[in-house]
Amino acid sequence: MSDDYDIEAVRKEWIGTKSELRAGRYPVEYDPIRRHCQMVGDTNPLFLDPEYAAAGKWGEVVAPPVMVDYFAGNGAWPRMEEADATRGVPTRGDRAINLNTDWEFLKPIKVGDRLSRQTEVVDVYEKPIRLDPKAVWTVTETSIYNQDGDLVAVGRNTLLRHRTPEEVAADPESQQQEAAR
Amino acid sequence: MTMTEIKQRHWEDVSVDELLDGYSLELTWTKMAEQVSGSQDFYPVHHDPDFARAGGHEDIFYNTGFTRAALCRLLTDWHGPQGWLRKLSFQMRKMHMPDDTIRVKGTVTAVREGEDGMGEVDIDLWIENDRVGIATPAEATVLLPRSTG
Repeated sequence: MSDDYDIEAVRKEWIGTKSELRAGRYPVEYDPIRRHCQMVGDTNPLFLDPEYAAAGKWGEVVAPPVMVDYFAGNGAWPRMEEADATRGVPTRGDRAINLNTDWEFLKPIKVGDRLSRQTEVVDVYEKPIRLDPKAVWTVTETSIYNQDGDLVAVGRNTLLRHRTPEEVAADPESQQQEAAR
Repeated sequence: MTMTEIKQRHWEDVSVDELLDGYSLELTWTKMAEQVSGSQDFYPVHHDPDFARAGGHEDIFYNTGFTRAALCRLLTDWHGPQGWLRKLSFQMRKMHMPDDTIRVKGTVTAVREGEDGMGEVDIDLWIENDRVGIATPAEATVLLPRSTG
């Protein structure tokens, strides 16, 4: 398999590109919060009990802050093709591993809020991993706003895409790199 | 549902090196299903062992949504109803896989005065399992009210 992937061309085309500001499909809702809490055994009444939350600091059920990008997105179904930055960067393989995530949470997100997001590609580079000597890493920064236009969170994420062992084996250059390591 | 009555923690009561005892979770197949349900992340590497192995992995591994939820639970339980999670950074250096038991823990590394009468507390936290040790190192900053508020 010839490898005509040009990392420098990808960097030149993609670094600095921004998606449009897009609204999440649905408002912040109770049930996704409940399912989120269930997966890690979280019984915090701020997230789960409307009566308790109404009497608390925020006056309404809030979502765990780490759900901010969930509610700013479209969800898994119905499928919606997104031409935004995170999905558009060309890579060699299509297998993904998410690595590093940094979030700053500025405001609470409450049931009923409508969130929007904008993502920028801030870096793309090649770096070998055990599975692929030519894995492609993409760093993105996402800003999330509520219905009032307030910035509620900023996140930075590093995701790599790699090839399967069969695809790596079919690339003579990768085999040479692997042998030299 | 039995909900946790979360206690309010105050800035003045926190000291450096204080341990966040945290909690454990067994990564059973039911937990794997809850992971997919809770995160709505249907990428097969997180639920389909054949797909994961074809990609060169030993087995499926738990996803970002689960990982950050586990870290967030430790912090939001700890800071109480008046607190606020300001920052969370984590690195998924190794994997959490089926049959692992994970433990989520932390340590206070710094305490200082913050804005709006709140105190700021820095925490090193992590998720570990017996197979690989600390797989997910993390850092957080939480805001706590003063007891004299």
